[in-house]
Amino acid sequence: MTQETIRIGMMSFAHMHAASYAAHLRQMDGVELVGVWDADATRGQAMADRFGTAFFADNETLLAEGLDGVVICSENVHHREHVEWAAGRTRAILCEKPIATTREDAQAMIDVCAATETRLQIAFPVRFSPSVQRLKAIIEAGKLGRLFSAKCTNHGSMPGGWFIDRELSGGGAVIDHTVHVIDLLRWMLGAEVTEVYAEVGDSLLHPGLGIDDAGLLSFRMDNGLYGTLDTSWSRPASYPTWGDVKLEILGEEGIAMVDAFAQHLRVSSDAAGKTRWLYWGGDMDRGLVQDFVAMIREDRAPSITGEDGLAALAVALAAYRSAVQGEVVGVEME
Amino acid sequence: MTRIGMIGTGAIARVHLDGWRSLPVEIVGHYDIDRDAARRASDAYGGAVYDDLDALLADVDLVDICTPTAAHKECVLAAAAAGTPMICEKPLARHLDDAQAMVAACEEARVPLYVAHVVRFFPEYARAKAAIDDGEIGRPAMIRTVRAGSFPGAGREFNSAFYADFEKSGGVILDVGIHDIDYARWCCGEVERVFARGLSFADIPERDHALISLRFTDGGIGHIDCSWANPPGLWRTRLEIAGDRGLIEWDGADPAPVTVFLRDEDDPTYHEERYSPLATEDNPYRAELAHFLHCLETGATPRVTPHDALMAVKVSLAAMESVRTGQPIEIATFQEASA
Repeated sequence: MTQETIRIGMMSFAHMHAASYAAHLRQMDGVELVGVWDADATRGQAMADRFGTAFFADNETLLAEGLDGVVICSENVHHREHVEWAAGRTRAILCEKPIATTREDAQAMIDVCAATETRLQIAFPVRFSPSVQRLKAIIEAGKLGRLFSAKCTNHGSMPGGWFIDRELSGGGAVIDHTVHVIDLLRWMLGAEVTEVYAEVGDSLLHPGLGIDDAGLLSFRMDNGLYGTLDTSWSRPASYPTWGDVKLEILGEEGIAMVDAFAQHLRVSSDAAGKTRWLYWGGDMDRGLVQDFVAMIREDRAPSITGEDGLAALAVALAAYRSAVQGEVVGVEME
Repeated sequence: MTRIGMIGTGAIARVHLDGWRSLPVEIVGHYDIDRDAARRASDAYGGAVYDDLDALLADVDLVDICTPTAAHKECVLAAAAAGTPMICEKPLARHLDDAQAMVAACEEARVPLYVAHVVRFFPEYARAKAAIDDGEIGRPAMIRTVRAGSFPGAGREFNSAFYADFEKSGGVILDVGIHDIDYARWCCGEVERVFARGLSFADIPERDHALISLRFTDGGIGHIDCSWANPPGLWRTRLEIAGDRGLIEWDGADPAPVTVFLRDEDDPTYHEERYSPLATEDNPYRAELAHFLHCLETGATPRVTPHDALMAVKVSLAAMESVRTGQPIEIATFQEASA
């Protein structure tokens, strides 16, 4: 049985995850990488060449190709506009995280996709980590008994570029690294974060940076669980890897810890000038992209929805609000 | 030889006595409200049994107070009144006004007060502080620590009852978290405010846990995970300090330098032994006592000042207040609600 060829267009390589998604899409059977549009024509042409596809200088021309799916990896603040371009012109959209920089933009994206019957999926690839999936199974099996707390980190290196330009990113380490883990907790626990207290550091680890590079959220969920999440860009350039995703769930019967990137080689390379950790575990971006393509092919609802993206964003925005007000704040979902 | 008097005969007193054994001191005697316990300590470590605290204080150069937290105050005040320099176990006191009174009494009497915040003497923690001081990581700006065990004294009636009575022990924050609060202050400076969530007021038998956020006056951020909620027997410690030019990490689960795998006698399986041995002088309790002895002899400022010990109590109690109220607590204006 020949399967339908799923035709995908890439919109913007501003976020480096786009290159990973494109590489996986290109390797998948039954997927055609139709082309690349990018506001930065030089980058767009280079990426089109790299992935053996066409560069479209005009996004309308790409969208006129009759795409089954569009992958949007533009700067955070442009997600809304690019989703609005694509909605109704394609069957499905995979949008990089965070969904947007404001709740209004996120809601508009959800609404336009609903109105045009366009499937909107948010790129939270860590859901596809086998280690994280094992933790979810352990929790769901009730092994930990009554759950008390979640201690989490999503540390990173300072990414530079537009990530540290508030006009394009909407914020620094807190908006960049809150949403992954909050999404995992919501997904694994079936619970919502209700209140947040946050200590946020501007230029704390990188003097003169001009944006938040340190964040420590303390939160409570509607199932009674409390927790913390460290979002800081606290991994220096000399560190062996970019950062981490770690979760530690404490329950009455025990404690479960996940280090999503623990499966690594320690590689010392004179060429690199340092020892690096090279990850050999299953590629979570591959799982994300496979799920996106399967959603289109099976014409089913996305596993990670725009509402999921909005809920995670709302926690990051609450963290910023808490830091400004110096108090515990509620998470505003409406 | 410096003459040492011991007050209290519990587990930490025995650890101290083991440390004193390798130092040039004379254990003069032991005082304990339980005379039989003092007799047992005397039998094991030498020195006389004292029925009268003041008599012991009069006979020694340095008294080592190893009583339960709630019983520190009367011993410290007695030693100050007697003019006898003292070591006091951490936490300095269960309540802030007690700690303040104790520090004030020692200052007024000009009697040295050395508080045993031993984590500053653990070689891995001391090495990390030295690395910071050497500029290895630039300005230390974020510190994360873990100190997590199972509920103390489970199966031992006295200990379990003491620790389970948070009115006496202060629970996991005052008994365990205070170690890392003190260490964090040492590395990152004074604490401006604290926020914490945990189980201290959740009324869950034989469990306590807290996740504490610290904000330092110079902008740095700290996170302290202190736990009495681990499964029985599991002990975990971890340290991470990020600066603007580097990062320090240490984990108690890092590979031990000595690992032995042995065939089991009857079962087709094996068991594992792990060791991380230290030279005698690097044993943290021994190093701590040696340091205080040195300070007593030379008049040097101790690594842990009375002010440090007082602030560690204050920040710990503020963290407990934050757990209770759900609100951030400013350290400068914090007053403990009267018990």
